[in-house]
Amino acid sequence: MTMLDVPGAKAASFNEREMQIVLVARMIEEGRTYWVAGGGSPMYTILLGKRLYAPNAQYITEDGVIAPEPMLPFEPIMTMVASRPAYQALAWGTMNTAGEHAQLGFMDYGLLNCLQIDKHGNLNSTAVRQADGKLRHFGGPGGADTIAAACWRTIVMTDQEQRKFVERVDFISSPGFLDGTPNARERAGLPRATGPWRVVTPWAMYDYDDERRLRLIAVAPFVTVDDVLAECECAPQIADHVDTLAVPTEHELEVLRGQLDVQGQTTGVRSGWVVLEGDKYVRQAG
Amino acid sequence: MNVLAEGAAPYLKVDPDGFREHVRDHKSRALEPKLTSAQDAVARFVADGDYLVYDCNYLQRGPSVLIREVIRQQKRDLWLCGKFTYVDVGLLVGAGCATKVDCGFFYQGGAIDRALDEGRLEIYEYSNVVMTHRLKAGAMGLPFLPVRSFGGTDGFEHSGAKLVEDPYTGQATVIVPALNPDVALIHVHQADQYGNARVFGTGIAHVESALASRKVVLTAEEIIDTDEFRRDPGRTSIPYYAVDAVVHAPFGAYPGTCGGYYGSDTGHVIESFAAVARDGVANYVEKWIAPFANEREMIDKLVGEEKLAQLQANESIHEGYRA
Repeated sequence: MTMLDVPGAKAASFNEREMQIVLVARMIEEGRTYWVAGGGSPMYTILLGKRLYAPNAQYITEDGVIAPEPMLPFEPIMTMVASRPAYQALAWGTMNTAGEHAQLGFMDYGLLNCLQIDKHGNLNSTAVRQADGKLRHFGGPGGADTIAAACWRTIVMTDQEQRKFVERVDFISSPGFLDGTPNARERAGLPRATGPWRVVTPWAMYDYDDERRLRLIAVAPFVTVDDVLAECECAPQIADHVDTLAVPTEHELEVLRGQLDVQGQTTGVRSGWVVLEGDKYVRQAG
Repeated sequence: MNVLAEGAAPYLKVDPDGFREHVRDHKSRALEPKLTSAQDAVARFVADGDYLVYDCNYLQRGPSVLIREVIRQQKRDLWLCGKFTYVDVGLLVGAGCATKVDCGFFYQGGAIDRALDEGRLEIYEYSNVVMTHRLKAGAMGLPFLPVRSFGGTDGFEHSGAKLVEDPYTGQATVIVPALNPDVALIHVHQADQYGNARVFGTGIAHVESALASRKVVLTAEEIIDTDEFRRDPGRTSIPYYAVDAVVHAPFGAYPGTCGGYYGSDTGHVIESFAAVARDGVANYVEKWIAPFANEREMIDKLVGEEKLAQLQANESIHEGYRA
């Protein structure tokens, strides 16, 4: 079965980043609020979703921008505390505005990326363990910890790479289901009934099973389930039926490339190409 | 309160009564002129060993002039509030000014890697919002605040947070220690000579930082008349009595953007990232900071009025910014 299909002519070529953004954009729901991680794929995803599928979905960013109508394009890096991304918002606040509104339950979804994720949806953007067993610091959670803790549901966008899908992240920067036991989040002080919901890579979509374990539910038409599993250091659970994800339409790409990420700041980065050959979508080498 | 778990990291001493006494003894409640130069403000109000918070960052309405002045004056052993920030931590660590960081998010590159390898830097783990809540607790005169995030993370283990049994609900709840920095550096759009200040657009924690800190230095794009504040008091972000020094600093956020006033200098922004990424902070300092006695000289020599006018023209949005 094809998952997340939409009407319109299918694109004959696109890159994998575009595939990922388009898929999540189709999941954006009318009347819901999204706390969107600043910059990169999540930002263009919510913009595309609002433009095509859910004009009355609203979003906030970490600097307290509530429901903007941003002026594109952004200057490089300038996705927060800058005038263009904050343009024509309904309200301007600060970081505690975003944190507190999420704590209050106003944020339906968190939309974020991560560098490493484990089988219980815990996220790492802080440190990796080296061969000598020591942790090597490389960043920090930023707003992602609060997004993952306090939004009702979390949607993670990351790449399908072996080193990113692991048994246990080297460092939990942002909480998933922690050790996976029932009510682990509540025992750690997090609000009840919150947590990981979907993970979307350019190749695959995952949800979580009843035991709060990552579960593969769909793959892109240009890869097989085995291809996906080969890019998971820790094999996920697999749904009884794995669906096929629908590729981007010409119109989605037109809007994404021509109206949103017009400088290719996100969609042009680190991503392979997929082309239609005969009746099959094929990944290009490199 | 029953403590269920606690992080192991050192944190700045929590002392609300000590802070009150500092306010009583050192914060003037009179309307006193506080205008001075960046050089004088940093010399007088930033001391070696201080806990330093800056609001926003070097690239987004941050106190960039003051960050450069801290480097120019070779302040040492600073403890930084490293939240919502890209290159500032790398510049201050790479220039030898900072030795401890509370981490929310900063851009890490070769400059910080080397400091860690050489044992010159300690990092304690938090998140952006946890840090702004710590500042909020400090700004409320409280010893701590509960937060509904951070629990269960490994950051918690490397922080000053605790997990307690909330005496009201009986639920496990994370509390974080109040943060009262020694000094806050904040760039604002408009201020008067007494330190009343207006910030337009969004921000990170400018109000909390100003109220929570023992010493507060503002840079302002514009110095305006106190009567302007009296005409529109609802737009005052920071009241005068929190502030110790005011510096008139047009383009004070350069090379960053200052919403409604000017865009960023993209070339310089990339250069600052490269300096931190490639452990080239010494070269950056040698080019942009060390040769100049003050900002005016640097701007005249390396940027120029034409460029500044261009950055101003690049900012096409004014709605919501100027009063």
